[in-house]
Amino acid sequence: MPLFSARNVCFKGIVQYPDIDIEEGRATFISGESGCGKSSLLRLISGVTSPDAGEITYRGKPVADYDPVGLRREVLLCSQASYLFDTDVDENFAKYYGYRDLPAPTPEQIRPYLGVCAFDMPGNTPCHTMSGGERQRVFTAICLSLRPKVLMMDEPTSALDDTTANKMLSNIKIFCAEHGITLIVVSHNAALVQAYADDIITLGVCLQTITAGRAQA
Amino acid sequence: MNEVVAMNIWQFGLIYLLLIIVLLIMKKCRINRTKLLFTASLRMTVQLALAGLVLTYILQNPHPLFTVAYLALMTCFAVYTVLSRNKGINKRFKIIVAASLAGTGLTIVAFFILAVVGVSLFNPQYTIPISGMIIGNAMTGVGLGLRVFNENIRTQRVLIENLQNIGATPQKILLPFVNQALETALLPTLNSMIGMGIISLPGMMTGQILSGTLPMTAIMYQIAIIIAICAVTCLAVFFSLFFGYRTLYNSRQQMCI
Repeated sequence: MPLFSARNVCFKGIVQYPDIDIEEGRATFISGESGCGKSSLLRLISGVTSPDAGEITYRGKPVADYDPVGLRREVLLCSQASYLFDTDVDENFAKYYGYRDLPAPTPEQIRPYLGVCAFDMPGNTPCHTMSGGERQRVFTAICLSLRPKVLMMDEPTSALDDTTANKMLSNIKIFCAEHGITLIVVSHNAALVQAYADDIITLGVCLQTITAGRAQA
Repeated sequence: MNEVVAMNIWQFGLIYLLLIIVLLIMKKCRINRTKLLFTASLRMTVQLALAGLVLTYILQNPHPLFTVAYLALMTCFAVYTVLSRNKGINKRFKIIVAASLAGTGLTIVAFFILAVVGVSLFNPQYTIPISGMIIGNAMTGVGLGLRVFNENIRTQRVLIENLQNIGATPQKILLPFVNQALETALLPTLNSMIGMGIISLPGMMTGQILSGTLPMTAIMYQIAIIIAICAVTCLAVFFSLFFGYRTLYNSRQQMCI
């Protein structure tokens, strides 16, 4: 049984998704042209938003039947637009953990996750002085440290140079494989997709717009 | 104590000369609000003149129905003003704001008139001016609280989305926005209390002293009204936002902001 299945899913009356299966314990990359609904698919999978029609199942049970917040903690979405508070790295971990009702992690607990995300500055580095890429890596480390069963990353390397992007994705893939975390990544970088994907879903080809369909009818 | 000196209409007219100074400064600083200055001055004059006429009639012919009608009209106008300045909020939120403003406003008015002053709620001489101050301030507080709440949510959309994605509950995400807006809405009242009596003699007290009331009586009224204003602002903003924010997510805990 696939971990996730999407059947006849339609979103906002614009995007009609092809039928999709995502397997457990693998790194699935989703690619496709911009505007074809890649980010929306991640949001639909984690139940942050609901489809107009069709159904997405997680472990054979409809996403809509899960406790919504519990599902988001298990199937965690690390979005492209990262947000960090105007404090240091450690304090940002503490703040996000606070929102999840978790005790703040110690610097020793934080460091390995920053390492996985190829971030090698100290934990007391103020976040407002960081570059976009550094901020993105800190945010990814926070998401990873929350140890979901499924980690979904939306364009995690969009602000990174190729070397750092490769280092981070390679580390994350190894970490996820070691800890049994299923990885779903949206990326438009074809080289990265080829290098790190176990499975590839390409959106866009099978994509139709409902409005165009209706117009033809 | 002497009766207040009745103003001669021509002498009274001199006060409008001060508006010319405001107009000149606005022109000099290129503040493009000349029309607003005219409209605001005109509306204030006409509205207060009408209120004066209506109050003269009601005070000369006191009837419970007049007092109730005045209260109802004032409450409706306050609700309408707040809602028309915060058009972006959803329908259920609007109903909650209207109920909170009217409910807390009228409750504090009733407590003030019945318990603190100890006269009938239908006595227009007390109920009309006091409810005006209480409901007017509640309106300003709720308007400010709502504006701050909406603005902060709009500017922090990325944070809100990220928190939702990592599995924070909508309550945990939105409550800090409620608390922050409540604090901002309360600050003007609290700050004005600090300077009161030293840098300002508040309006109601000034009015009472001018009309011959003993200063100590005027002060007691003033203290009572300020505490009532502080309480009504706090309660009206709290109920509006504390129940209102729950309209921003559905049963699937999905935010609709």
